[in-house]
Amino acid sequence: MSDDPLLRVDELVVRFPIKANGQKTFIRPVDRVSFFIREGEVLALVGESGSGKTTIGKAMMRILEPTSGSILFDQKEVGHVRGRKLIDYRTSVQMIFQDPFGSLNPVRTIEQHLQFPLQKHQQLRGQALDERITSLLEQVGLTPVAETRIKYPHELSGGQRQRVAIARALAVGPRFLVADEPISMLDVSIRAGILRLMNELKEQYRLAFLYITHDLASARYFGDRIMVMYGGKIMESADSRELLRRPLHPYTQLLLAATPGHEEKQALPETSNLPPNLAESRKGCPFASRCPHVTAQCEQEEPKLEEITDSHAVACHLVST
Amino acid sequence: MTERKPVLEIEHLSVAYDSPRGPVQAVNDVSLAIYEEEIVGLVGESGSGKSTMAYAIMRLLKGVAYVTGGSIKINGKDVYGLSKQELRAFRWAEMAMVFQSAMSALNPVMTVEQQIADTIRSHQKNASSAEIRKRAEELLDLVRIDRKHLKSYPHQLSGGMKQRVVIAIAICLKPSLVIMDEPTTALDVVVQRSILDQIQEIQREVKFAILFISHDFSLVSELASRVAIMYAGRVVELAGSRRLRVAGEHHPYTEGLLRAIPRLTADDVVIEGIPGNPPNLVELPSGCAFHPRCAHATERCAVEEPRLQKTGQAEIACHLFQGREVPQHV
Repeated sequence: MSDDPLLRVDELVVRFPIKANGQKTFIRPVDRVSFFIREGEVLALVGESGSGKTTIGKAMMRILEPTSGSILFDQKEVGHVRGRKLIDYRTSVQMIFQDPFGSLNPVRTIEQHLQFPLQKHQQLRGQALDERITSLLEQVGLTPVAETRIKYPHELSGGQRQRVAIARALAVGPRFLVADEPISMLDVSIRAGILRLMNELKEQYRLAFLYITHDLASARYFGDRIMVMYGGKIMESADSRELLRRPLHPYTQLLLAATPGHEEKQALPETSNLPPNLAESRKGCPFASRCPHVTAQCEQEEPKLEEITDSHAVACHLVST
Repeated sequence: MTERKPVLEIEHLSVAYDSPRGPVQAVNDVSLAIYEEEIVGLVGESGSGKSTMAYAIMRLLKGVAYVTGGSIKINGKDVYGLSKQELRAFRWAEMAMVFQSAMSALNPVMTVEQQIADTIRSHQKNASSAEIRKRAEELLDLVRIDRKHLKSYPHQLSGGMKQRVVIAIAICLKPSLVIMDEPTTALDVVVQRSILDQIQEIQREVKFAILFISHDFSLVSELASRVAIMYAGRVVELAGSRRLRVAGEHHPYTEGLLRAIPRLTADDVVIEGIPGNPPNLVELPSGCAFHPRCAHATERCAVEEPRLQKTGQAEIACHLFQGREVPQHV
C-alpha cells in the first residue's frame, strides 16, 4: 500500500451566484481549500454557519460540482466526473445527514430503506439480500432486527433513525463517509451512542470520515485531526489534542472560549459579531473584522496556511511572522 | 439567602394532553420555586415536559393540553385564578417568555420599533410616541443593537440580532419573571455565548428572575444557580449548579447526562451515553420511568414511583437514596 491518502483535495473552490442590488455577483463559500484524509482517519471540520463546512461536504459527495480545484479519491480525479463514473464513485462515498427526520422516507419501512441500495449496487436478491439487511441492522445496534425491519421511520426515536441512516450508508460498502452534524439534532443522552457507533465502524472497516460539526468538544472526541474553517477558508488545522491545547489562530481561540464546559469563564475575544464576508471581491483575512489582534496587513493581504509543525498549520499573519 | 421572596411558585403541577389512547401525562406532579433575581435552569430531553411546563406557567396551553392539577403562582397571584382580562394585563407585565425560534417569534411585516411599541401600547394605552421611542431606544442599547435597527424588519437582522430583539421585547414591561425556552439553540456557539453573557448582564442590571429551559446541560450549569432536571414529566433532581458539574451523589439519569457529553478539557474520558431510548409518554414504564435505562434499578423501582426527597444538599427522586446507603458512583 502506498502512502497516498484516500482523499486529497487541492485548491477547491465553490462559488455561487447571488443577486445584490439587482446585479449578479458571486460569493465563495469555499475558497481554495486543500486537505487530505487517510484511510481509517477522522477529519473533523469545525466552523459556524456560513463557514462553508456543509458546502465542502456536499462537494465531497458530488452533490455539488466544484467550480475549480481537484478532488482525488483513491488517486482518481472525481471532481468533475459524470454518469457511470459518478455512480461508481458514490458506492465508495456516502453521507449521513443532520436531520434523521428528513432523511428517511416516511412511507417506506426500514427494510425498504436498505433494500434499494443493496439491490442496485450490490445486486443482492432473495436470501442473500435478507441476510445482509439483518447483519446491517445488527451492526448499527437496531435489535431485535425482526421487529425493526417492518417499522416505519415515525415509529423510531431520533437516535434509532440516525442508526438507520448509518446502516443505509454502509449498505453500499463505502470507504469514506461524510457525516454532517450527525448528532446535533439528537437528544443529549443518545448522542454518545451514535459517536461510539461511528467510532466502532471506523475501527472495524478502516472507514475514513469527514465529520462536520460546530462543536469542538465532539470534534475532539471523534476527530483524529481538526480543521477549523471561517468564511470559506481554513484557519487552522492540527491533531485534535494539539489544537485544543495550543490553539494559535484567534478564531480558534474565540471558538474555544465560547464552547461551554470551561472551569472559568473568560470574556469572548472578539471585536464584533458580524457574519463573514463571502464576496469574491473580499480582500485580506476573512476574520479581520472580528479579530482583536487585527493589523493593517490583515485587511489587505490574505494570510496563507503555513505549517508550524508537521501536523499543525495556521493561516494568520500574527503567527507566521 | 433563601429568605428572598419567591417570584414563581409551582405546586404539584400536572399537565395532560388528550390523545386517541387516553390522556398523556406530560408534566407530573412538579413543584418548583424561583426566587427574586434568581436564574433557575430546567434541563430535559425532548418529551420530558420542559416546554409544556413553560406554556403552563404562561397559561398558553391550547387545544388538547390542559392542567389537571396543582397551582402556579407568580408574585403570590394564582395564574389560573385570573379572569381573561386580568390575564391579559398580567401576562408580559409580570411574566414574559422568550421562545426558541426567534425567526418566527417576530412579525415579518413590522419593524423592530413597531413590535416594541405594539407590546407597550397593549399594556399602557396612553403611552405617547415619544415615550415609546425613548423606551425602544433604551431597550436596544440594553441588548446592544444599533439604534438604527429600530426601523429594520426582521429579515434584515441576523439570527443573533433577532433573538436579542425578542429578549428586548420580553423585558420591555419590566416583568419579574422571564421564561426562556431554548433561546440560543438555533444559534452558533459564539453568538450563543455572547447572548448568554448579555442575558446575565441585563439580568443583573434590570433585575428579574429567569427560568432557563434547555437540553444543554453544561450550558445551563454555567448560567443558572440551581438546576432542575426533568425526565418523563417529573423533576428527578434539583440541585445547585456547582454540584452538578461534578460526579457524585446524583440521580442515575443525571449521572448519565454528565457522562454523555464529550468535554473540552477532560482528557481521554470515555463518554458513555445512556442506554435505551427516551421514554414514550403514551406507554410510560411503571414505577420510576427511568428504571428500564438505569444500571442501578431494583425490583422496587419497577413498581414504586420514587418521590423527590432531600438528599444532602440536593433533592433527588430515586429509591437508591431513600433510607439506603448512597451508591458509589465512579
